Amino acid sequence: MIVSWNWLKEYVLLDMPVAELERRLMMAGLNHESTEEVGGDLAVDLEVTSNRPDCLGHIGIAREVSVLFDHPLRISPARPREGSTKISDLATVSVECPQHCPRYTARVIRGVKVDASPFWLSRRLATLGIKTINNVVDITNYVLMECGQPLHAFDLSKLAGRQIVVREGRPGEKLVAIDHETYDVGPGMCLICDAEKPVGIGGVMGGANSEITEKTIELLIEAAEFDPLSIRTTARRLSLHSDSSYRFERGLDPEGVDWASRRCCELILNLAGGELAGGMIDIGRQPVPREPIVLRLAQLKRILGIEIPADRVRQILDALGNGLVSETAANVTVTPPSWRRDLTREIDLVEEVARIHGYEAIPEDVSVPMATSSRSDEDRVLATTRHVLTAVGFDEAYTVSVVEQDWSSALSPWTDAEPLVSQTPLLRRATCLRRSLIPSLLGARRTNETLANPVIELFEIAKVYLPRGDKLPDEQLMLGLTSGSDFLSVKGVIESLVTEMNKHAECEVAETRHELFTAGRCCQLRLGGEVFGYLGEVSPAGLKRFELTGPTTVAEIRLAPLLKIADLVPRYVKQPAFPAIHRDLNLVVDETVRWAELARIARSAGGTHLEGLEYKDTYRDAERLGPGKKSLLLTITLRAPNGTLTSQQADAICSEIVAVCHRDLGANLRA
Amino acid sequence: MALAAFLAEVEELLSAAQSAFAAASDAAAVEAARVEFLGAKSGRLKAVQKGLGQVDKTDKPAAGQRFNQVKLDIETAFAAAQERLTARPATSAKGPQFDPTLPGRRPRLGKLHPLTRTIEDLKEIMGRLGFTVAAGPEIEDEWHNFEALNIPAAHPARDPLENFYLATAGAVLKSPLLLRSQTSTVQIRVMEKTKPPVRIISLGRVYRPDDADNTHYPMFHQIEGLLIDRHVTMADLKSVLRLFASSYFGGDVHIRFRPSFFPFTEPSVEVDMSWNDQWIEMGGAGMVDPHVLQAVGYDPEEVTGFAFGLGVERVCARRHQVTDIREFYKNDVRFLQQF
Repeated sequence: MIVSWNWLKEYVLLDMPVAELERRLMMAGLNHESTEEVGGDLAVDLEVTSNRPDCLGHIGIAREVSVLFDHPLRISPARPREGSTKISDLATVSVECPQHCPRYTARVIRGVKVDASPFWLSRRLATLGIKTINNVVDITNYVLMECGQPLHAFDLSKLAGRQIVVREGRPGEKLVAIDHETYDVGPGMCLICDAEKPVGIGGVMGGANSEITEKTIELLIEAAEFDPLSIRTTARRLSLHSDSSYRFERGLDPEGVDWASRRCCELILNLAGGELAGGMIDIGRQPVPREPIVLRLAQLKRILGIEIPADRVRQILDALGNGLVSETAANVTVTPPSWRRDLTREIDLVEEVARIHGYEAIPEDVSVPMATSSRSDEDRVLATTRHVLTAVGFDEAYTVSVVEQDWSSALSPWTDAEPLVSQTPLLRRATCLRRSLIPSLLGARRTNETLANPVIELFEIAKVYLPRGDKLPDEQLMLGLTSGSDFLSVKGVIESLVTEMNKHAECEVAETRHELFTAGRCCQLRLGGEVFGYLGEVSPAGLKRFELTGPTTVAEIRLAPLLKIADLVPRYVKQPAFPAIHRDLNLVVDETVRWAELARIARSAGGTHLEGLEYKDTYRDAERLGPGKKSLLLTITLRAPNGTLTSQQADAICSEIVAVCHRDLGANLRA
Repeated sequence: MALAAFLAEVEELLSAAQSAFAAASDAAAVEAARVEFLGAKSGRLKAVQKGLGQVDKTDKPAAGQRFNQVKLDIETAFAAAQERLTARPATSAKGPQFDPTLPGRRPRLGKLHPLTRTIEDLKEIMGRLGFTVAAGPEIEDEWHNFEALNIPAAHPARDPLENFYLATAGAVLKSPLLLRSQTSTVQIRVMEKTKPPVRIISLGRVYRPDDADNTHYPMFHQIEGLLIDRHVTMADLKSVLRLFASSYFGGDVHIRFRPSFFPFTEPSVEVDMSWNDQWIEMGGAGMVDPHVLQAVGYDPEEVTGFAFGLGVERVCARRHQVTDIREFYKNDVRFLQQF
């Protein structure tokens, strides 16, 4: 809301510097945006919160000033002189849709001379950035900016049947508004019509067909109430937002309707002449008296933490226009003013008293009782996960939860259900709630590739959204990884993470296949008997789909199983005091033999003294080993709990391992 | 001669010899020290050795053992001095030379996202003030996102264009779901399940249809605090915010409240803090609206409470002087590695 300094002076004495006014208003709830000089006047831009439509006019701001500086408020009584002709002989009004338009009032002025506005009037509108049109239109805008109540002036002679009909739009109906754009004004919208056609969009904008021109001599002045929700819907549907719709959306002072109409007529008679018809047309609900509100003075201390003297409380409430109904030592009962629709409860009065009294009075150094707080296991697991991943060189990424259709359909490992879709795109084309973090991370990878960043190792911890019909979706926390290294490197990272959570836990590998991954170089991971995640090198087709060039491996794992196995307080285990013996074994096996199988068999053959079994390398040489063969190099660690193993004992264990591996897998020791 | 006297002499010799060899900075000095201590004719070691003969017979084995060790130690010190001098790079040396000025092999350290760092800092401070982290869903129903927060159907905040309402498989859901527009939803969920007192912070992603520019993004992070108990006042709110701001930003921070409007608090305020002699906007706060307390089954005559919220991106951007918040979601490795 832009306020003219000179205009404001009409209602309240401004004997303070503008900066002081700005500061006090800000500290009372009208945030100061800017002040600009416009042709010798000051345009002070104030931010008005949505609960205070009463401040969307100069009088409302003046009232705040009058309360804050304790200066009297001066408002015109607006008593225009009425002529002898009755309005009922000149025009009729009917309202067919009171749900959209609960109240409609009209006054008629005949014999006006439409001309340019006087300098003082056009000057004030110019400060607010409002274009001047002619004296009649300018006066309706002036009164709008004076009290916040929108008004509209129709050329009465252009209204067919000299009649106003307020009704809903009909299918296919159109209207050219005064901005000379054509609007589709169909059902659900409130139209102002004459006997034949629409002449305005109620509460939003008037029609070009009834606008005031220099030929106009008869006026019908509309001052009405429109339903806030209806106005908002219409303004949105038409993408047509006006000063009027802005105010109607927020709700206005029902008792201000008639004052605004009288004030408008008073100014027109003064500036454009003519004669005001006797009486007014007033259709619909009349303002209802406000319910009194009881303020228990003890509530002030209970909510604000400070004492405010009863006298001060009464003075503030009175200055704000609340009518005193009764008072006792403990309570003050008031009727809130008609322009403050936001005041209905005791707590509303507590806030009013507080903001005028000043929040500076509230201390910032009271002692707040102590309380314990605890860190959740999930928080600990997430912190450990982040430590492990940054330690092994991964940077943490944050990507957006909503992705475009193409990314969404690229990969959905956790559900077959179609993704939830946002009715408004989050970013351009991004409408699908993601079911996997991987497409987003591949997108981040592409961003880095286009910048020629040499190392792109990213992880993200975020949710995926798995639809469950009508219920809230299953939001699962995931860890996503993308790396430039190969399958085994990324698998190692995940294994380290698992071991870090629980030194006894191990994840297992199961078959999986997806067109984004290179066949055979991808797998499902399982942990603690449930699906943990998947891991794979991105196939050439996958790289192409995400416009990537460098080799890429991705993995996505669920954090829930990790949380389940996490051993957050590991227990001490005494380590044997005797040295270990290490032995390397080179076992030649068929290509089809897998490490996991070999390791399992070797472990069981190694007995209790086998402490560790570590994979070292795979060696292939068709000439030396024979076709279809490979040699697996492993290191075994042997240790006894009660003494140093001898070389002979170690050899015996090795022989046993080799023998069992030969028997079960056809493995041979390489010479 | 008493054993003690002999041993004292031996120890003194050792310490003198060790410092002489350690201090020798060239070959001549090493040689001079060698002659002084280890000289075959008149070296000090030799002189001390003569004393060994005068030690009482019973003490001789002990004295001899110590003397031999000291002799070895002095010879070691001599060898070390020689080694030290000859190991210096000689300008005339031939063949490959190790260059210790080459950069070390550095393991690549990954970086936490700056938003994580900020969130962890804020969580930690609030934890010290007794606030426990609470989590909740990002996709919400209208009850938790609006109704319970005192945002009735006619409120402008409910406008479909101001929110991300969801559909599934092309059809509108029977009961509308939407991406939460504030983390206050979590507060409702906690209060519905917990009796007062409640002292929590909720944090996470929230969504509002803003066009992305350097200060706005349609997805961002919020951290919100909630304290409900008997006798909680706005003075408690101001004091907690002051402790919080002093702890995070350091120094003597003051808090200022400006009246504002949020449906779920009343009174509602914008919170500023003084920092470097300026008032800086921190976020929004207020006393929990009685309607909200009633909506979760609390009695507003029995308990009161306060709530406050901060935008994590804004705090983080100010902390690290990030001038465009879109950087947080671009994931340029060069950006991430700065923190």
